[in-house]
Amino acid sequence: MVKIAGLVTLILDIILVLTTVFLMLSARKAVEGGNKVIYKVRKPYATLLILALVAIFAYTITKMPYRAMALTTPAATVNVTGHMWYWQMEQEGAPALGALPKGEVIEFAVTAADVNHGFGVFDPDGKIVGQTQAMPGYTNHVRMVLEKPGLYHVLCMEYCGLVHQAMIGFLTVE
Amino acid sequence: MEKRNRNATIAWLVVSFAVFVVMIGLGITMRLAQGLRIEIPPATFYALMTMHGLGMAGALFAGALSIIWYIVSRTCKVSLGVSWISWWLFLIGAVALLYATLVGGFGPGWYALYPLPFVNAAWPSWATGLAIISLLIMGVAWLLYQLDILRAMAAQYGAKRLLAWEYIAGRTPAEPLPAVILIASMCAIAGTLGTLSGAATLVLYFLKWISPATNLDALLLKNTMFMFGHVIVNVCIYCGLCAVYHLMPKYSKRPWGVNRVTAIAWNATLLFVLFAYFHHLYMDFAQNKTLHIIGQITSYGSAVPATAVSLFGIASQVYKSGIKWSFTPASFVLGGMGWAIGGVAAVVDSTIMVNSYFHNTLWVPAHFHTYFLVGYVFMFFGFLHDFFNSKAERFAVTSFVGMILGGYGFLSMFYLGGYFGVPRRYAAYTAIQAGDIANKGALFASLGALFATIFLISAIAFAISLFAGRTPADEKAVTAA
Repeated sequence: MVKIAGLVTLILDIILVLTTVFLMLSARKAVEGGNKVIYKVRKPYATLLILALVAIFAYTITKMPYRAMALTTPAATVNVTGHMWYWQMEQEGAPALGALPKGEVIEFAVTAADVNHGFGVFDPDGKIVGQTQAMPGYTNHVRMVLEKPGLYHVLCMEYCGLVHQAMIGFLTVE
Repeated sequence: MEKRNRNATIAWLVVSFAVFVVMIGLGITMRLAQGLRIEIPPATFYALMTMHGLGMAGALFAGALSIIWYIVSRTCKVSLGVSWISWWLFLIGAVALLYATLVGGFGPGWYALYPLPFVNAAWPSWATGLAIISLLIMGVAWLLYQLDILRAMAAQYGAKRLLAWEYIAGRTPAEPLPAVILIASMCAIAGTLGTLSGAATLVLYFLKWISPATNLDALLLKNTMFMFGHVIVNVCIYCGLCAVYHLMPKYSKRPWGVNRVTAIAWNATLLFVLFAYFHHLYMDFAQNKTLHIIGQITSYGSAVPATAVSLFGIASQVYKSGIKWSFTPASFVLGGMGWAIGGVAAVVDSTIMVNSYFHNTLWVPAHFHTYFLVGYVFMFFGFLHDFFNSKAERFAVTSFVGMILGGYGFLSMFYLGGYFGVPRRYAAYTAIQAGDIANKGALFASLGALFATIFLISAIAFAISLFAGRTPADEKAVTAA
């Protein structure tokens, strides 16, 4: 996902730069009414843009994280509470947070005890798996599949004060 | 009157530019600290971060409003008194905010998410109170300024005409509505609503400050705060576009008026800009899902009028026009490009599915710094160059090359950071043990600081170029023009 997003951004940026250079170079010659062609291109461009945006919207809206894996019964549910500046994580039905099962759907029920925090799960290679906000007075439910075994890091993804940069939790996946 | 209007505008432009330069300095300091090149305590870092965000957005917004005020003043009777009152209020608010952050240590970030300013804060309570009051004073300044712009336009053209609905209805009026009036109206209406949203939030914060037992809703206040921030930042860019619409025909010798498509586009933009802020709350799963979807639709939707009307409009001004490239038209065109490049990254991140990865990573500052620094700021500088009738063209263009190099270099480091998942708003990355994020974050921050320094030096050189080689006769010519 990140690779596709990065690549799409890069390609579109290159097109924008090349188009700008082309336009600026074209201005060396003055042609009366030479800009009519721009208006001719505009309609097909707008049509294509709208179609592309509608298609991307239609696809991506089905992949929203809010109801992801909603039909699956999670293998484990972890109740998470963000505090200034640590993560309190408890596994439902277990005396303590143990190792979470690899490749299974895990539900995190995330809230905060004091201020806003951001619950961001990073895999053992440092790649972000998913996130949700931790907000006082609300509980956000997010489901994730942790594919790789090893130590996952939970970083705070919402600025929460003085020790925000060191508010780190850990999850073990086996 | 023209001279007095110019002087009032100059007062705003000088403050806006001066604060902009100082805020770049704070930004460089933060990137140097993240890059482990200097050491500053986290409390100081977050106070600088707060001031950087509020100061940069606030001062650029004020400068942007002064651009449309000046443009509107060419055809409408704006109030000099209101401009000066707003200016003084803004200055008082800005100085008080500097004191609250840099002396008092107020550091909850520009958005001061409830209830952070009031809970276990690392700064004294008076700093929170002073920051709230100073922001309210600045809000009153913006509000007065915008309402006067709207009043002046309504008095001249009629309130019903300001959004060009007659064009949408298919009627071509006997007296055409200037494009700049349509854009200025959109900016002032959206800006006023955004400012009111911020003011309402701050009034509640003030109540909380004087009565700590008050309980407020964190999600509601997050909505109102992001509506404020999102709207005023976007309005800045549209004010920059107002300058482009106003001045580009002077260089291209091509007219740029309102037609039905333009009218529809700017009305749609007004609607989109007010509701796109929902994309800031995608990761608040408790928020109604419909609002998230509205966020994605309006964010996608804003790309259509922005590119098919405004960017195509710039293209039609340029293509085979015979423009002699000088600083102002070049900075307008490259500003449009920078706006579009930032827009691409914004639209990508406004996709809910993608936002799960990019939310609050460095991708976010990457995109908004892009459409600010190499988008709006280039348009702003293009306006300044023309406004002051700068005589040092080569000097200005040389500084522009430095700004392009420094700007895009600086931004690339943010994009790379975002791509690799480096979180934003971290005083240091050293505690992160996940993967190689800490090393990458520090490296990109160091290089970002280097490029930002190049930009800063170039921006100061540009400011010098505005007045280099001028004679008293040039000054008189500007006023007469």
